[in-house]
This record gives sequence, C-alpha cells and structure tokens, in this order.
Amino acid sequence: MIRLDELHKSYGGHLALEPVTLEVAAGEVLALVGPNGAGKSTMLRALAGLIRPAGGRASIGGHDVVTDAAAARRQLGYLSQRSGAPLTTILGDITTLVADVRNVPVSEALEALEGAGLGRRLGCTLGELSGGQRQRVMLALATLGPVTALLLDEPSISLDSEGAEEVRLAIRQARERGTAILFASHHLHDVAVLADRIAVMVQGRVVALGTLAELAAAAGVPSDPNVSDFPPVERIYQVLVKRGRNAVARRLALVRENAA
Amino acid sequence: MTHLLSLFRFELAGARRGRTVPVFAAGFALAGAAVAFIGLSAGGVMEVQGFARTSVSLLQLVIWVIPMLALVTGAVAGADCHELELIAALPVRREGIVLARWGGWSVALGAALLVGFGATGMVIGLLAGMADGWRYLRLIGVALLLLAATLAVGLWIGVAARTRLKAVGIAVAVWLILVIGVDLVAIGILALLPPGNAAWWLSLLLMADPVDSARALGLTLFQADVVAGPTGAALRRVLGGAGAWALTAALVAWTLIPLAMAGRRFARTDL
Repeated sequence: MIRLDELHKSYGGHLALEPVTLEVAAGEVLALVGPNGAGKSTMLRALAGLIRPAGGRASIGGHDVVTDAAAARRQLGYLSQRSGAPLTTILGDITTLVADVRNVPVSEALEALEGAGLGRRLGCTLGELSGGQRQRVMLALATLGPVTALLLDEPSISLDSEGAEEVRLAIRQARERGTAILFASHHLHDVAVLADRIAVMVQGRVVALGTLAELAAAAGVPSDPNVSDFPPVERIYQVLVKRGRNAVARRLALVRENAA
Repeated sequence: MTHLLSLFRFELAGARRGRTVPVFAAGFALAGAAVAFIGLSAGGVMEVQGFARTSVSLLQLVIWVIPMLALVTGAVAGADCHELELIAALPVRREGIVLARWGGWSVALGAALLVGFGATGMVIGLLAGMADGWRYLRLIGVALLLLAATLAVGLWIGVAARTRLKAVGIAVAVWLILVIGVDLVAIGILALLPPGNAAWWLSLLLMADPVDSARALGLTLFQADVVAGPTGAALRRVLGGAGAWALTAALVAWTLIPLAMAGRRFARTDL
C-alpha cells in the first residue's frame, strides 16, 4: 500500500508539490495525469526516496520513506522517466546488481530480460540500446522480486505500440499479484484502460481525484455509451485541467490581494 | 553496510571496462621506462638506471600525474552518481554508493599503476639488478596512498558539482592549488615568519596538502630529507623520526574525510 499524508516539496521557495494526501490500496492502479510541471514526477521521486520531501509523510507498505527508507524501498519498484543509470553501464552488470540487492536469483533476472527481448544483449551498454529497449529493461528491473508497490513515471514513453501493450500487460499482471501501482502518464488511452482511479494534477496540486466515471460527472462531460470513444477522456482531462488552472490562478490572485 | 559488496562488484566491473585502465597501465609503464632509460643520458651514458635513482626521478612524476588523473576520474565518477536513480531507489544507502564507487575506481586505477610500474620494475630488475628494489616498492606504496586520497577528493568535488563539466573544471583548479598553490604559500610563510615560528606552520601546511604529504613521505622513505624542500625540512625539525607516520596518517585522513563528506553530501542531495 502507498500512502501520502500532506506530503509536499518545494524548490527554492517554489512549491513544486502542494500538500497532498492520498492512498493507493494493494491491487489498485492510480494514474497521475496533468500537464508538464504539474508535480507528477516530483510526487513519484519523493516516494522513491530520490528527493527529500519538504514536509508531510509518505509510506510504502507501512514503512516511512524517509525514516525507514531501506524497508520502504525493499517493497518498492521504481521506473524513472530518465535513463535510470549512466549510458555507459553494462546491461549485465546492472541486472546482476539489482538481482543481488533484491535477493533474487540472477537466473530469474535474466529470464525477465529474456521476456523483454533483451536476453542476448547482456554485454551491451545502455547507450547501445534504443530508447524503447532501455525502457523495457528498466521496467523489467523495476518489477523484479517481491515488490508490493510500483511507481512508474511515464512507463510507455518512447515505446512502439507493441512495447506499450507489453507495459499495459506488465501493469495488469502486477495488479493481479496485489501490487499497489501509482503511475504518471500523458497517454490518456493507457490511463483510461488501466487506472482504477485517476488524480488530475495542475501546478503542484491534485485538483480532481476519482474513477473515470466520477471525473466525467465532475467535469460535466456528457457520457454517452453509444459514442465510440466513450468515455471521452481527452474532453474530461481538458475540462478538469482548465478548471484546475483557473482555481490556482484565483487562489494566487487572492493571496496577492491579501498581501497588498 | 547493506549490499556494499554487491555495489563494489558493480562499480569495479564498470571501472575496469573500457579503455581507461589499460591506457593508464600503458602510460605508467611507458613513463617509468622512459625515466629509467633517459635518466643517465645527460651524462652521455645510455643505460638503465637502478631502482634507487629511478624511484627518486619517478617520485616527481607521481606527485604531478597521479593527483591530476585521480582528481579528474573521481570528479567524473562523483558527478555520474546523480544519474544512478535506479540504484538510489533500491534498498541501499547513498553513502554505500559513494564508498563502492571510490573502492571500484581505487582498485581499478591501483591495478593499472601496479601493472604499469610493475612492468617497468621487471625491466629494471633484469637490466640493472635488484639492488634498492625496496625503495621502488615504497614509491609504489606512496603512489597508491596519493591515488586513494586524491580520488576521494575528486569524488567529493563531483558529488558537489553535479555535472561532469563543472566537476572537471573544479578538479583541475584544485590540482593546480595542490601542486603549485600550496608551495607558493609555503614560500610566503618562509619569507614572512622567523624560522622558529615557520617550522610549525610549514609542517601543518604539509599535512594540509595530500600532494605535499606524498612528496615529503616519498623523500623521507629515500632518506633524502636534504632535497625535501622547506616544508620537508620543517617537518623533520618538528616531528623528527615520526614524520613518516604523521604523513601517512595525513594521507589516510585525506582519504577518509573527503569520502565521508562526499557520502554525506550525496545522501542529502535531491537526484
């Protein structure tokens, strides 16, 4: 289970993530959507222990990500939006390390790479792989071992349609195993088909949270099951983001007014 | 520390791959052989110098080349720590990542130094005899201590600088300060202070610079204090026979303190 309680993060006075409280249950998939700079990656990176929260608390499987970081990370798989390791890193070396640290037999890790179609490229550097291949490697390593929580930052970025389908399959399989999954994505189709709940983020704030049907109702988007693209995810997203932006702008104006 | 051995194996595997280590080993061997062969040429003699003369000549090369090499390598390795998101999200301590990185590069570069100078040593032994071979071994020991210390300083620089370019720039500036700047300060102290007071200050200055510490340690081992320069002579006056131990301790401290600072800095840094 992933839990955030008033977790927030600021960079030099700028609040990149406003206090957020939410929970992802075991076997649940929660998607984070929102424009660039909305705070999606910041939330995931704070949960993964890559950045230090400015305040609030977060836990993975009941272990605080700051005060009990090692125990929290033992249960956690994280897929970064970046390469995750220097491009000079040898695929076989990083695979062995992850297997060692996760106490998984190396043969199991190699099977996971084989499954990602990269079993014969162990001697390659990450830089010699394509962007999509690197993404598959990192996803295979993130899901290795007994992880109970998965944080995926743009998991289907740079993937072809076949690769994106593999990612969707991996997420479904992890959910079936009871893994709590929090993923950020700009691919609204993935979000619509995978997520049990969706959090819409704008300028560091969660401006809407619920199932797709709940968000459609909140956005006032007519939901017609006879329409081929039902539910109209794009429309719901645009309405909620616009509304969120307006709310943030109103709040900032109010703050400025009070300050003056 | 959790999984330190796994991290060390990963870092060592990364450090020994690529061209860096063989190029450095070949460089050390060529430099050592050149010093051994050319040393007597000024006197019109073209033959291999023995271990004693080669060691004294090589010391100067060691205290210029090894700090540059280790500072830059450490700086790049330290800056690259910020790209290790996958590893940092595993249940390992950030301090362990830095320590393993230092260990991996120390072993890889140390092996290059041993192979390079070892090859030269074999040539000298075959052509000029084994007399004073222990001096040569001690020179290698001093070089390894200096390598470990400056590599740790480089790592600290890299972790703090975050980017390779900035890290390398700072590393080169630090190298200039260590090999030249501190000597200029020593000359200034000698000019300004009376000899009695200057000895203590110069001894402290010697400990405050790993390159000067290695230079003085090397010369102490050769019992060539006369050419140890003003700081070396001051150290002899202040510490007497314990000078070599004090210098060794200084070099160990120059390894441990920067390593601890680099680990602490990396543990508190947002990636």
